Amino acid sequence: MTRGYLALTRAELRLFLREPFSIVFVLAFPLMMMLLLSAVFGNDEADAGEVVNGIMIWRGVTPTNYYTAASTASVAAALGLLTQPANLAGYREQGILRRMRASSVPATVVVLTHLSLAVLIVIAGSLVMAAIAWLVFGAMMPVDAIGVLVALVAGALTFGTIGLLLASIVSGIRAAQGIGLLLFISIWLISGTAPPPAVLPETVREVGAALPLGHLVTAIQDPWFGQGWDLTSLAALIGYGVAAGIPALWRFRWD
Amino acid sequence: MPAVIEVDHLRKTYGSKVAVDDLSFSVEPGEIFGILGPNGAGKTTTVECLQGLRQADAGSMHVLGLDPASQAAELRHHIGSQLQDSALPGRLRVAEAVDLFAAFARKPVDTRGLLERWRLDELHDQAFESLSGGQRQRLFIALAFVNAPELVFLDELTQGLDPQARRATWDLVREIRRGGTTVVLVTHFMDEAEQLCDRVAVVDSGRVVALDTPVGLVQSLGLPSVVRFTTFAPDLSWLEEIDVVDSVVRHGDSVEVHGADPVLALVASELVAHGIVPLDLRVDRPTVEDAFLHLTGREIRRSR
Repeated sequence: MTRGYLALTRAELRLFLREPFSIVFVLAFPLMMMLLLSAVFGNDEADAGEVVNGIMIWRGVTPTNYYTAASTASVAAALGLLTQPANLAGYREQGILRRMRASSVPATVVVLTHLSLAVLIVIAGSLVMAAIAWLVFGAMMPVDAIGVLVALVAGALTFGTIGLLLASIVSGIRAAQGIGLLLFISIWLISGTAPPPAVLPETVREVGAALPLGHLVTAIQDPWFGQGWDLTSLAALIGYGVAAGIPALWRFRWD
Repeated sequence: MPAVIEVDHLRKTYGSKVAVDDLSFSVEPGEIFGILGPNGAGKTTTVECLQGLRQADAGSMHVLGLDPASQAAELRHHIGSQLQDSALPGRLRVAEAVDLFAAFARKPVDTRGLLERWRLDELHDQAFESLSGGQRQRLFIALAFVNAPELVFLDELTQGLDPQARRATWDLVREIRRGGTTVVLVTHFMDEAEQLCDRVAVVDSGRVVALDTPVGLVQSLGLPSVVRFTTFAPDLSWLEEIDVVDSVVRHGDSVEVHGADPVLALVASELVAHGIVPLDLRVDRPTVEDAFLHLTGREIRRSR
């Protein structure tokens, strides 16, 4: 089973890298938004302490640093909501999962590969994000890299499981793409990944903070900015992961 | 040797639609066993139940001594499957696909040898999406053999292939049998069943309506052959005296003699005895297609 798991993960990683669309949405979209928003709001230390609606709008760092960390969370959300569910639903629709099942590929290996890929891609994407922000704007590197890594893994697993659930619910690839895009855009707009939460209406801000992406943003930003680990958000992410994972595994369909 | 497959009173419904009504047959080691029937006859459902890919509603099944309903995971290690309507990721390459599935086999075959055997070695670097229909089928057959199976299921093997590719694929199936593997071949092509199968189960509306060798199937029904020739001889009434002849139909010079075998030999000898030696004497024998039509009252190749 280990041999099979490694073979499938290697194959899926190759396929991911060969698929231009998946890379554009997973890496290029969050990256472009980071570049755009950083260019708009700048990387001036003078903005770090700015307060709006009684909240430190940039959480005590420059806007560029704020968006660099927040955009790594977008990578996890884009992968889990846009790319992976569509991919898995497509596998089912085209009979690829049937083919796998007939060749003794266990469902656990399909699920583990899916989640492993989420972790690998989110970590790689975050490294690219940090490196580009540093090169272009001289943005900061994470203060507590371990803390950021833990948050990224938790986020990748949570959105990976949400992706599994989405794939198990939808009828096919088109539905997965449509629902995934709708979910992604709506949570991306209110979770601190696009406008900073401080400028949002209070209710919207609270909803955004309670959603998985909102929790992931703070779970990544806190250690990135040297503000310790946000255990509440990490626990919330795990809670979301378990809540999505149980029905996803229960409803896993080969065809 | 015990039977490779034993199916008794298999039944499978989808809601109110009965896919497999009441189906029984057995498959002996080393044979190519055909399951022949029109689209929607329940062929694919049957083999999917046998492979543990679907749960039957009733009946008992034993495949290689295992119960597909409860021991599917174990069973799949011993069988190979070429499934209808299955696919691989478009950008996965041929050699990668074979290596990938070999990683799940308990005793994988040598993948390089497998690629060579199915003439895939030159395509090893090609993406699945760039393969032709025939090349894809070759790859699927190769994948069915990656775990050195004792039994393979080939479902609509030559669907969508051109005549040349079909014949090449038939040769591959014969090669499989030479290797000692038992083959279950699902098809709605008559000629395929006639060419390849040792025995054929004709399935219609979820039931076996006949089970015999392709030749036996045709013979047992006693369907008439048609002898055709042309002659200027005005009176041929003596042909109707021959025991096996049912009727003689004449359109000008062309003559059709309908009758049971050995109608050709008897007609020929009478013709010669009457001094008629036609150059175009020929016989159209009943085919499995005619047998199917006779058994089920419909064309087997009706479109979906």
